[in-house]
Amino acid sequence: MILSKTWLADYVHLDAPTEQMVERLLMAGLNHESTVAHGSDEAIEVEVTSNRPDWLGHIGVARELAVLFGRPLHVPDPQPEETGPAAAASIAIEIRSPEICPYYCGRVIRGVQIGPSPQWLVDRLATVGVATVNNVVDITNYVMLECGQPLHAFDLGQVRGGCIIVRRAEAGEPFTAINHKTYTLTDHMCVIADAERPVALAGVMGGADSEISESTTDILLESAQFAPLAVRAAARGLVLASGSSYRFERGPDPAAVDWASRRAAALVLELAGGSLAAGVVEAGALACAPATIDLRDHRAADVLGVDVPAGRQREILTSLGFVPEKAAAAGSSRWRAPTWRRDAWREIDLIEEIARIEGYDRVPEDQPIAARTVELSTRERAVRAVSEVLVAAGFCEAMTRSVVAEPLEAMESPWTDAPPLVCQPALIRGADRLRRTLLPSLLEARAGTLAVGAPHGELFEIAHAYLSRTAPPPADLRAGSPVEEPLLVSLVTAGEYLRAKGLTEAVLARLGIGAGHLPAGGEARVEYRALAIDLLAAGRAAEIVLHRRERQPVRVGVVGEIAATVLEAHSLIGPVAAVELRLDQLDFAVTAERRLVRPSDFPAVERDLNLVVDDQVPWAAIAAAIHAAAGPLVEQCRLMQVWQDAERLGVGKKSVVVSLRLRSDSGTLSGDEAARIVEAVVAECGRRVGAVLR
Amino acid sequence: MAAISLDAFLAEIDGLRSEASAALATAADEAAVEAARVEFLGARSGRLKAIQKMLGGLAVADKPAAGKHFNDAKGAITALLTAAQERLAGGHATAVEAIDVTLPGEPVRLGHLHPITQTIRRVQEIMGRLGFESVTGPEVEDQWHNFEALAIGTEHPARDPLDNFYLAVARGADPLLLRSQTSTVQIRVMEQRKPPLRIVSLGRVYRPDTADATHYPMFHQVEGLLVEPGTTMAHLKSVLRLFASSFLGGDVKVRFRPSFFPFTEPSVEVDMEWGGRWIEMGGAGMVDPAVLEAVGYDPDTVTGFAFGLGVERIAARRYGVADIRDFYRNDVRFLQQF
Repeated sequence: MILSKTWLADYVHLDAPTEQMVERLLMAGLNHESTVAHGSDEAIEVEVTSNRPDWLGHIGVARELAVLFGRPLHVPDPQPEETGPAAAASIAIEIRSPEICPYYCGRVIRGVQIGPSPQWLVDRLATVGVATVNNVVDITNYVMLECGQPLHAFDLGQVRGGCIIVRRAEAGEPFTAINHKTYTLTDHMCVIADAERPVALAGVMGGADSEISESTTDILLESAQFAPLAVRAAARGLVLASGSSYRFERGPDPAAVDWASRRAAALVLELAGGSLAAGVVEAGALACAPATIDLRDHRAADVLGVDVPAGRQREILTSLGFVPEKAAAAGSSRWRAPTWRRDAWREIDLIEEIARIEGYDRVPEDQPIAARTVELSTRERAVRAVSEVLVAAGFCEAMTRSVVAEPLEAMESPWTDAPPLVCQPALIRGADRLRRTLLPSLLEARAGTLAVGAPHGELFEIAHAYLSRTAPPPADLRAGSPVEEPLLVSLVTAGEYLRAKGLTEAVLARLGIGAGHLPAGGEARVEYRALAIDLLAAGRAAEIVLHRRERQPVRVGVVGEIAATVLEAHSLIGPVAAVELRLDQLDFAVTAERRLVRPSDFPAVERDLNLVVDDQVPWAAIAAAIHAAAGPLVEQCRLMQVWQDAERLGVGKKSVVVSLRLRSDSGTLSGDEAARIVEAVVAECGRRVGAVLR
Repeated sequence: MAAISLDAFLAEIDGLRSEASAALATAADEAAVEAARVEFLGARSGRLKAIQKMLGGLAVADKPAAGKHFNDAKGAITALLTAAQERLAGGHATAVEAIDVTLPGEPVRLGHLHPITQTIRRVQEIMGRLGFESVTGPEVEDQWHNFEALAIGTEHPARDPLDNFYLAVARGADPLLLRSQTSTVQIRVMEQRKPPLRIVSLGRVYRPDTADATHYPMFHQVEGLLVEPGTTMAHLKSVLRLFASSFLGGDVKVRFRPSFFPFTEPSVEVDMEWGGRWIEMGGAGMVDPAVLEAVGYDPDTVTGFAFGLGVERIAARRYGVADIRDFYRNDVRFLQQF
């Protein structure tokens, strides 16, 4: 909203310089954007919040200034002289859709002289950035900018059948607006029609063939109320916003409907001549129900923390146009809200008015609050633990978009078979799919940063994925959502499968979850199982399955090398490996109490074993056999080397070199004891996986 | 064979021993140590070897004493040699080859948390000290939590399909959308708990905005909520002043300007004085009684305040990021600066 300083001075006289004026308005809630000199005038641009349509007219802002500076407000009371025959003889008005137009009135002026506006009017409109058209159109714009009520003037000669019908548009009905563009309407929109066709899109824009032209002599002056939703549907649906639609979407002062009509009629008579028909042709009933509000004297202090005496509260409300009525109870007051303040209808709204005018600088800023302890949530602790590991491992945290374009969601998700959710409009350039995995986004980010010459593309992200629940959603509004949002931690790294697995193991260990055979406090362990999935290379990928006591095993992650086709699609050079983990399924582990296991004071014994097994035997099976045989005396079981040699080992065999570190916490292991353990290990490996010692 | 007296022999050994000691103690590098070793302990022509040969010229009765003396000297010189070798291996600055100290160190690559995460953590930390617990909630929301419980009625422009990311799926007649504010989490927490309550809700929010230097359709919010009997705007201002002083450093002033948000009344814009200027930090207000009623609280017995901060905005200002799109480009050259 742009204000003209001289225009404001018509209603309230201020000695204060402009800066002081805008400062006071700023502190009353009217945000100042800019002040620009415009001839002898100043154009002051302010940002009006959606709850204050009264500030969309100069009188409304002048009223605020009058209160802030303690000056009287002068609002004209136009009483145009009616010299013509009854208006009702010229036009009939019918409202067929009262839900979108509660009230409509028209005044008729015949014999007007269309021409340019006088200089003062041209200047004022120019200051506030409105182009001049002709005297009658300029007057309707002027009055809207004065009081906030939009008006429309029809060329009465072009209104066919002598009637105005306010109705919903028919679906697909065409309408040509003043801008000479033709629009196709929907039945959510409201039109002003004559006997034959729409002559205006209600509250938004007039029609081309009934607009005021140089040949116009008789005019119908419309002033009406339109429902915000119908006006918004038209203005936004057709991308046809106007000063009029902007105001109707926010709800102008009902009392201004008649005032604006009288004001415009008086100005037309003054600037364009003609004679005003007697009476007003009306339809519907003006929607105007100012609220009656009780205000407890103590309540302002309860909310604001500032003591504003009851007398001062009453003074502020009265100055803002609230009308005192007989109080309902002692220690309280009762108020009728002014017609232009439909946002004020509850006690709390009055308290805000008191605070606004009294000034928030009176609110103290040294009020103590009681001490309270807080803990990080389990989820948050897990997030921090994981990001700590990855930052230490040299990864940068990325933030990629939650909603992605189709190519990034074309592949299988590790987490669901259901297709991605789609949103409207697209988040950005065709990205309308809520992602079901972070990995494609991270690969794209890796490719992007390497393409611009970054030193590396080691990236991780912690974010949600969005999965449709397959089970039918609960009917209760406040119960669960039909969308599941697992919290994922994902990473992409240069390297092969074992690099990614090593990182996975570090992350899981930090969370307190052991791999494979390790009991890890007895609570949980994970298992790696070969996995076939679009994104990852065949034979170089695993799913990570979590085993917990008394629970079904569940997939909590995937790890592997990115498939060659995917690398190619992203123009990435391999090998690149990736991990994605369900942090929401793993975070529980972080709460486990850490208890010290005192390191043994006795020396360790190292023994290396060279086991020959079938080359299909997985390491996990060998390790399990070793741990089963040696029990807690195995401090460390390290895989040193795997090699194959058909001549020396035989076809389909492999040699697995394992280094065992044995240690007891109750005494030094003797050579004999160590030998017995090794013997048991070899026997168990033989029994379980057919291993022989080489 | 020319005989040699015991005394002369012992003197010879002692002289050799002190010479060897001096040579090894002052040897500055491995070459000098090696030269000393060859000179004194060399197996063929070492000086100790030469003295050993003189043993034969001693009287038989003197031989045990001379032998012992010789062995002592040999042991001592060998020990000195080992000490000298260890000294040089130990890397004493004076003894090693000098290095160009301006050579680059072996790189250790550390990762970096995203500046948005760092900003959120900083806010969480400060608010945590003030007793506010961090909470999160779903990003796909329903009409109740995103609008109705926040006193945003069906006619409110904020619900316009063009101003929200609605999903194609719905729950019955209830369309779902990507949340447009994290106040939804506050509603969810209030529905489940009773006052007193102090939380900060944080996370991603979504609003259809054309991406430019100051707008992005996805961004992060941190919103604080305190609901306790007797809470006033004075508590709000005091908490925000403490927050601002801690976040920005120094004794920072806070200013309220009237504003409008559907879920707070009164509503204010919060300005903080930073570098001699008032900087807009976010919106705040007293929780609207309609919101308290929507979650089953009695507005006459408890009051509360809420405030919201745009994380990108404060991170951009804090780190001098002129274009907030940079936060989502994921360029490692950008990320590694934080």
